[in-house]
Amino acid sequence: MDHVVITKGLTKSFRQEKAVDCLDLKIKKGDIYGFLGPNGAGKTTTIRMLLGLMKPTSGTIEIFQKDLRAERISILKRVGSLVENPSYYPHLTAYENLEAVRKILGVSKSRIYEVLKIVRLTDVANKKVKGFSLGMKQRLGIATALLGEPELLILDEPTNGLDPSGIIEIRHLIKRLSTEFGITILISSHLLSEIDQIATTVGIVSKGKLIFQDSIEIMRQFAQKNIILKVNDGEKAWRSLLAKGIKSDYQDRQLLLLEHSNEKVADVVRILVEDGFSIYRVEEEKRSLEDIFLQMTAEEQAI
Amino acid sequence: MIGKLVEAEFLKIKRKGFWFLTFLGPFGVIALQMVNYGVRKEYLLRQSDDDWGYFLLNVSSFTPLALVLGIVILTSFMTSIENETNAWKQLVALPVSKWSVYLSKFTVLAGLLLLSTVLLTIFTILYGTVLNLGHDIPYLEIIKYSFYPYLAALPVLALQLWIATVSHNQSIPITAGVLGVIFTYSAHILPDWMIWKWPSLMNDWNEPVINVFLGIGVGCLLYIIGMFDFIRRDVK
Repeated sequence: MDHVVITKGLTKSFRQEKAVDCLDLKIKKGDIYGFLGPNGAGKTTTIRMLLGLMKPTSGTIEIFQKDLRAERISILKRVGSLVENPSYYPHLTAYENLEAVRKILGVSKSRIYEVLKIVRLTDVANKKVKGFSLGMKQRLGIATALLGEPELLILDEPTNGLDPSGIIEIRHLIKRLSTEFGITILISSHLLSEIDQIATTVGIVSKGKLIFQDSIEIMRQFAQKNIILKVNDGEKAWRSLLAKGIKSDYQDRQLLLLEHSNEKVADVVRILVEDGFSIYRVEEEKRSLEDIFLQMTAEEQAI
Repeated sequence: MIGKLVEAEFLKIKRKGFWFLTFLGPFGVIALQMVNYGVRKEYLLRQSDDDWGYFLLNVSSFTPLALVLGIVILTSFMTSIENETNAWKQLVALPVSKWSVYLSKFTVLAGLLLLSTVLLTIFTILYGTVLNLGHDIPYLEIIKYSFYPYLAALPVLALQLWIATVSHNQSIPITAGVLGVIFTYSAHILPDWMIWKWPSLMNDWNEPVINVFLGIGVGCLLYIIGMFDFIRRDVK
């Protein structure tokens, strides 16, 4: 599989502090890459380096198999971006904002109407951006990013500061861009829940270091299930299960089963019933991705 | 590439009062003479045999001030367009080189100021004719008195643009601009090496054209320094 973005040992230091430390990103073609991390973890700094806004202290960036330092302009022709808060010219209309960028990109004028349609701003094309809501400004930012028909779209916190319906709208838009136009998308966020449903690959960064990078399925496997049994006499039940060769944990008057298969659970229940225990509850406990994310970043911080 | 950027810049300055200011500058300079000659035309005409020359002298005493004031206002307006929503990051992330972004800003500013200069030439001729200063209109002198200050003021333009683009805090270019205007106002007591004196065309040799050459030379130098500093820096 081709990789659209590959960074090797990417590092950025501000004076003594390393904002980004030896980052090895790999983004496959067609992926929606969720770039996660708490605030101040180095996400925006990384994205700024990917766009050539900042120069790395060390390390290399390859986009479309080309070195960013040597071929920045030809690479950026194929990249659309929205970095942090949307940038716009408030005294100009939505159309004029896009026109100012269109002139530089040299695409056709009809493309302006196309991107306005994609982000559903056609009706307000001739209104000044000054009066737009944050969600509309954000959508205009995405429209600007789409203007050059990019193959790679880099969105830095595109849902920051939006209300729930705005977040859902942007999420649908991103999904559509990926499925309809086959654009590779890098989207950063500090909330896993925001990209949980759309990302295919996840990279988690904490304190400038990449601590996880793999498909979202692999990450979901971390979300282990536990079967919890509540019985009248937990400790006795635990012993009686152990006597039958079934391992379990006894915690807080509850039994935690290590095996999750349906048969095993049925076996355990049968044994306990036969031994005369009263079973109050059989529950499945699922750790959410958010818990895993928090745990991962917290572990890193503890070090 | 630079042509497209300049076109985009001209689009961005829409509705920001750039064109009005470009007109107001030269108009203001002539308007002051309208007042001056309107009130005491007879007296002024008696001061010299060369009516056109004396009129030009009066006009040119305000040109440097208007020019430096215009430079300060236009440059800070120009960068405020990008600073307002930090559009620098959007602009530089487009497939353009940073030097061409900087050059396009400079080109638009220099272009607007050139237009002001042309307008000043036209207004001077028009009002001089209205005043009936004589049929021998000294075109060459009028053009000199309009364009020499412009060329001599290029270092101020390059310096102000440099300060305005690289400052995170916009009070820095404003302070520098206010100081520049004060310097220009007190040009007659400044030493020759100070760039704010040059638009007044005064120097120890009484040779205005020296200021023009200095302006072009030092202007280019300051432009190049500013541009490389802009390229070197990370975008906010």
